[in-house]
Amino acid sequence: MNDISVFFDGVCKKYPHFSLDNIGLELATGSIMGFIGANGAGKSTTLRILMGLVHQDSGTVRVLGHSMPEEQTAAKLDIGFVSEDLRLYGPATLEWHMNFLRPIFPRWDQPYADGLAHRFDLNPQQKIKGLSHGQRVKAALLLALARRPRLLVLDEPTTGLDPVARVEVLEELMSVLADEDRTILFSSHNTLDVEQISDQITFIDRGKIIDSDNKEAFLDRWRRLRLVLPPDGVVPRLPGFVQVGGSGRLPVVTTNRFEPAMVSACNEMGATVQAVDTMTLEEIFVANVHSRRERGAA
Amino acid sequence: MNYSLVGRLIWKDWYFQRTAILLALAGGALSLGIVAVGGQAGFTIGLILLVTILAMISAMTVMGNVLGERENQTLAFVMTLPISYVEYTTSKILGALLIFVPFWLTLVIGCLGLIVAAPPIHGLFAFTVIMAVEILVGTCLLIAVSLVTESKGWTVSAMVTANIAINLVGYLVAHIPGISNGMWGTKILWRSAATLSLIVEFALIVLMLGMAFFLQSRKKDFI
Repeated sequence: MNDISVFFDGVCKKYPHFSLDNIGLELATGSIMGFIGANGAGKSTTLRILMGLVHQDSGTVRVLGHSMPEEQTAAKLDIGFVSEDLRLYGPATLEWHMNFLRPIFPRWDQPYADGLAHRFDLNPQQKIKGLSHGQRVKAALLLALARRPRLLVLDEPTTGLDPVARVEVLEELMSVLADEDRTILFSSHNTLDVEQISDQITFIDRGKIIDSDNKEAFLDRWRRLRLVLPPDGVVPRLPGFVQVGGSGRLPVVTTNRFEPAMVSACNEMGATVQAVDTMTLEEIFVANVHSRRERGAA
Repeated sequence: MNYSLVGRLIWKDWYFQRTAILLALAGGALSLGIVAVGGQAGFTIGLILLVTILAMISAMTVMGNVLGERENQTLAFVMTLPISYVEYTTSKILGALLIFVPFWLTLVIGCLGLIVAAPPIHGLFAFTVIMAVEILVGTCLLIAVSLVTESKGWTVSAMVTANIAINLVGYLVAHIPGISNGMWGTKILWRSAATLSLIVEFALIVLMLGMAFFLQSRKKDFI
C-alpha cells in the first residue's frame, strides 16, 4: 500500500436521486490521474469522499496511508485541494491568505509561493474580490501548491474560465508540475484539459467507474474501423467490440482492444477494412459512456 | 483537539467582523453614556439602543461567521484545512460567543450598576439578571440552529422564536411570585425562584450547544 496514494474499494454513497456505486480506484504515488465524467457523474462526490468532506456509506478509502474519513485531519496536512466551488475570502488579500495558511502547514514554502505569485502574475496585495475568475483560480492553485502537498486534488479547476484563462491556467499548471514528483488527481468534464496533463485516465458515469487505464493504453487500444461489407454480409464481431455506427454496407465499428491483426481477421470474415481511425480521448469517453448506457438500458 | 487551529479560525472570524465590532463598540459606549447621563428618558432610550445593538451583533455574528461561510462558498476552503468538523464547530461557537459575550456583559454590568446606583429601582435586580441571561439563551439558539441547519430560513425562524421567547419569558418571570413580589420595591431581593430561573436558562444553553456538537459530529456531508 505504500506506493498507492489513493485507494478506494467498494465505496458506496447514496443520495435520494443519485448514488455512487462500488467505486474502486487506485492511484500510484507520483502519477497524474485525469478523472473524467459528465456533469453529475459523481466526480465531485468521489473527490469529496477522498477529502473526508463527505462520508461514504460503505467501503474503504485510504489516502496517503490514512483511513478516511477517520484520519482526515492528518491526511489533509498533505493534500492540496482546489475545487470549482471553493472560494477565497473576498475582502482579504492574497497575502492575508498566505499569512493565514503559513503557520497551519508545516511544509509551507513562502519563497515558492512568492515565485508562483510572480509567475501567475498575481499581486499579493490585491483583494480577492478585485481579481478576475482566472486570477482567483490561480490564487487558489498557489495556496494549494505552496503547502507542498504530497497529493494535489483538482476538482474541475478550469470550469467557468474563458478559453484564454483556461489555457493560461493549464499552461501554468503544466509548467509548475513539470519537475515535481507529486501525485495528482484532476477531475474535469473537459477531456482536452485532462489529456494534456494526465498519465492515467479514469472514466466515471452515473456513479460508476466505467474504465481506468494509462492514457497511452487508452489511445492505443481504442480504434474505429471503417468497413465495407459484401452484399448480405454481417458486421464481424471483433474482440473488444464497443459499438457499431455507419449504415448498411458501410459500418463503422469501435473496438477497445485493437490489434493490427484485426484488419486481416476482418478481411478473412469477408469485410474490407477501408480505414483504421485513431480516436481522441473525448471520442473514447463518449463511445464508452454510450455503449455502457445502451447495455444498461438493454 | 487542535487548539491552535481553532484559535486561528476564531481570529479569522474576528478579523472579518472587525469593522462591525468596532462600530458596535462605539454604539454600545454611546448607549451606556446616554443611560448614565440622560435621566429617565435617557435610561429608556439608552437601554433600547443597547438591546438593539446586542440583537444586531447576535444576528451579524450568525449571518456573517456561520451562514456566510456556506453562502460565500468559503466553507470548502476552511474544510481543506487539517481540521475535523467538531473542531470547526468549536471554533464557530467560541468565535460567536467571544464576539457577543463582551457586549452582553457590558450591557449586564452597565444595567446592574445603574440599578444598584438607583435605590428606587433596586427591586428590578433579579428580573434584569434573568432577562439578560435570556438574551444570551436566544443568541445560543441562533448559533446552534445556524450551525446545524446552515439555512437562512431556519435561522430567521430561530430569530423570530428567540424574540417571541424574550417577551414570553419576561411575562412569565414577572408573574413568578418569588420574583414579582418586591420587583418594584426599593430593596435588592434574590430568592430561590431567581436562582432556579438562572439554572434553567444555563441548562438550556448547555443543552442547545451540546445538541449542536452532537448533531454536527453525526453529520456525514459537510459541503
